[in-house]
Amino acid sequence: MTGRVGIIGIGQSNFRARRDDASYPDLVREAVALAMNDAKLDFDEIEAVVYSLSPDAMVGIGNAERLGVDAVGARNKRFLRINTGGATGISSVATAWTHVAAGACDVVITAGADKVGECGDSQTVLNKIWDPMYERSLPLGTINMLAMSAVRYMHKYGMTQEDMARVVVKNRRHASKNPHAHLRKETTIEEVMASRMISWPVKLFDCCPQSSGGAAMILASERWIKARGLDAVWITGLAHSSETYYMGDRMGRGYTADHADAHALRASFRKAYAMAGIKDPRREVDVAELYAPFSNTEFHAIEAAGLAGLGESPAMLRDGAFALGCDAGAVVNPSGGVLCTNAIAVTAMSRIAEAALQVWGRAGERQVKGARLGIANGNGGDHQFFGTMVVEA
Amino acid sequence: MAGRPRVGVVGVVIWPCLPDDGRHSLEEQLHRAMQATLADAGLGTEDLEGIVVASNDQYDGRAISIMMASAPLGGVDRDILSTPSAGEHAFVLGALRIASGQFRTQLVVSWSPTEASSIPEAQRLAADPYFHRRLPLDELAAAALQANVLEHAVPGAGALAEQVLASGRRNGARAFPDLVQAEVPRGGPSRWPLRHDMVPPPVTGVVALMLADEAFIAERGLGPVAWISGLGWATEPAFLGDRDLATAPALSAAAAQAYGEAGVTDARAAFDLAEVSDVTPYQALIALEGLGLASRSEWQARLAEFAPDGRLPVNLSGGIAALNPVYCTGLIRIAEVANQLRGRAVRHQKQGARRGLAHAASGPAMQYQTVVVLDAGAGRTAA
Repeated sequence: MTGRVGIIGIGQSNFRARRDDASYPDLVREAVALAMNDAKLDFDEIEAVVYSLSPDAMVGIGNAERLGVDAVGARNKRFLRINTGGATGISSVATAWTHVAAGACDVVITAGADKVGECGDSQTVLNKIWDPMYERSLPLGTINMLAMSAVRYMHKYGMTQEDMARVVVKNRRHASKNPHAHLRKETTIEEVMASRMISWPVKLFDCCPQSSGGAAMILASERWIKARGLDAVWITGLAHSSETYYMGDRMGRGYTADHADAHALRASFRKAYAMAGIKDPRREVDVAELYAPFSNTEFHAIEAAGLAGLGESPAMLRDGAFALGCDAGAVVNPSGGVLCTNAIAVTAMSRIAEAALQVWGRAGERQVKGARLGIANGNGGDHQFFGTMVVEA
Repeated sequence: MAGRPRVGVVGVVIWPCLPDDGRHSLEEQLHRAMQATLADAGLGTEDLEGIVVASNDQYDGRAISIMMASAPLGGVDRDILSTPSAGEHAFVLGALRIASGQFRTQLVVSWSPTEASSIPEAQRLAADPYFHRRLPLDELAAAALQANVLEHAVPGAGALAEQVLASGRRNGARAFPDLVQAEVPRGGPSRWPLRHDMVPPPVTGVVALMLADEAFIAERGLGPVAWISGLGWATEPAFLGDRDLATAPALSAAAAQAYGEAGVTDARAAFDLAEVSDVTPYQALIALEGLGLASRSEWQARLAEFAPDGRLPVNLSGGIAALNPVYCTGLIRIAEVANQLRGRAVRHQKQGARRGLAHAASGPAMQYQTVVVLDAGAGRTAA
């Protein structure tokens, strides 16, 4: 490719459990308008649209991207949709990057929205991601899928339920400073431990909420950005990697991947770091927005990102690492992360948006002081698709 | 994509009508398609750097159908994405991913199963829930509304559509004699003005293409190659009431992108053959106009040019008029042109074809439009 690709506009809803005031296309439009205002662009300048939408069933409309065409101003323009489940948001930003890097366009918007809070029951929808003959009827859901990962991580590395609760306390504290976050009320280890058991050892407070809202980002070529004298955050590394589909391939004798860890996420980060020239992430990364919809998964995400050794992150968190104001190392999820906001179609986009705001110095109360290099990731499918990205000021 | 790596199609598999023998799962069919495409390209699994797939979750009966497809297509430990908006969008993204310089190769795959109890019911879920879903509006109904508008706008369009339909069937019978009959009894009304015989029944299909960059192709000595010289894609809005269904502005926009990139200034003289998306024969007529091959006032006089022995054969494969694997018909059009330019079209091969035009449309009444200009061998730079 010739020249870098920069982020020049960001829009995020203030996510809520319900948005009865807005239809699905309205929510997309809300995010697009915020991003367009942020970049101070006219729609004529947008050359392509990458639409970010995970399972159709969440919004109750098949191929719902079609209804979003006018909401994103795509009429008679380049338009396509991406779906990699929970990773969709980061895959969409990566695809927007690809449009620019390929020289097809100078300015691309990626946008989407979700109404997870209004879908009835997201776990009923998500059960349908599994194979109808073998694993769907167990019944699997994303909560018990990752509860099994927690059990395995406990067995391998000695994580406790209190360690998990500590992640919730940290992220809720961060979210209290983020006006876009859905769950903004601070909590305590005791409250987390006392919350209702969902799927052992995952309790209600260890789970992400079901959120409604939208997000949008505008990317442009370095040439276009410099010609207009604009400010930008640069995407310097990006990658995807995937795990197996069948949960049975990650458990029992002869498993192909250990369900405690996230080996494909590690591989994805390794590729993104290589592209960005990062050799020592513990020293070089200032801020990390890691996709962790359940408290336990933040630990293996931190380790896959190379910010801690395998099994080391619970002890590091106990010692004060990863929190806003910590003495050294990267702050993890200063936005509150997925644990406090999950509108699935754009959750992974918000990870990049938040990392970009941090290195831009525009993160408000949740700003990590002096952040220059941020990382983000998104996980999709049954912990199957992993997108990663590096952003720099 | 000037200044970026040139992208070529080096492997193609088109299975437009898979027998439902009850012995092979979709996963097995996809794995076989991946292996066959790699074999056609002269490559192995180790050469696969990335994958883009496109499928329809409602037809597949899965909430995220890329999940099932990942392992059979070699996606484990690799970079795999999906573009569920359209099969042809997977081709667009595959080409862009190579042109970006991030990848040297991409496998592009789309499929369309027929196990859904009712494909029209699945399509009705895509209508907006407040206004259109209760009509009920499926894709055939949208195509019928489009045909009706075209008949109103262009007197005689119905008769022209009959000619296009007959031509498509004859071509299909020549290309796929085991699957397509040239003569089909006239059917009863389906959705007026369409008849049941005007749109073939859905069949299960799989299509896959292997793309690679110029340096990789040279380094590995791959061939034959169909080079992507121009690529355009655009969308119409979703609400049919917001559109003039007898015209295709998004197709004109997509064609302008592709032609501009390929240096095509006169589409009528630029191509040796074309494949157009024709869920109905009315759509083929609209495509001819949108692509700049024949305006509506010229349809009657110039249809003969688009016959197999005409100056610009259109749909030598028979198009969708012959075989209708619903979701992947658009990507098949691109694969057909690539195979023609690679000299791999077998029964319906046009000898000496050097430059081809592929048009793919998806969604209600051709909402999504994609145009690809492909060149054989070293390619050409201008028409």
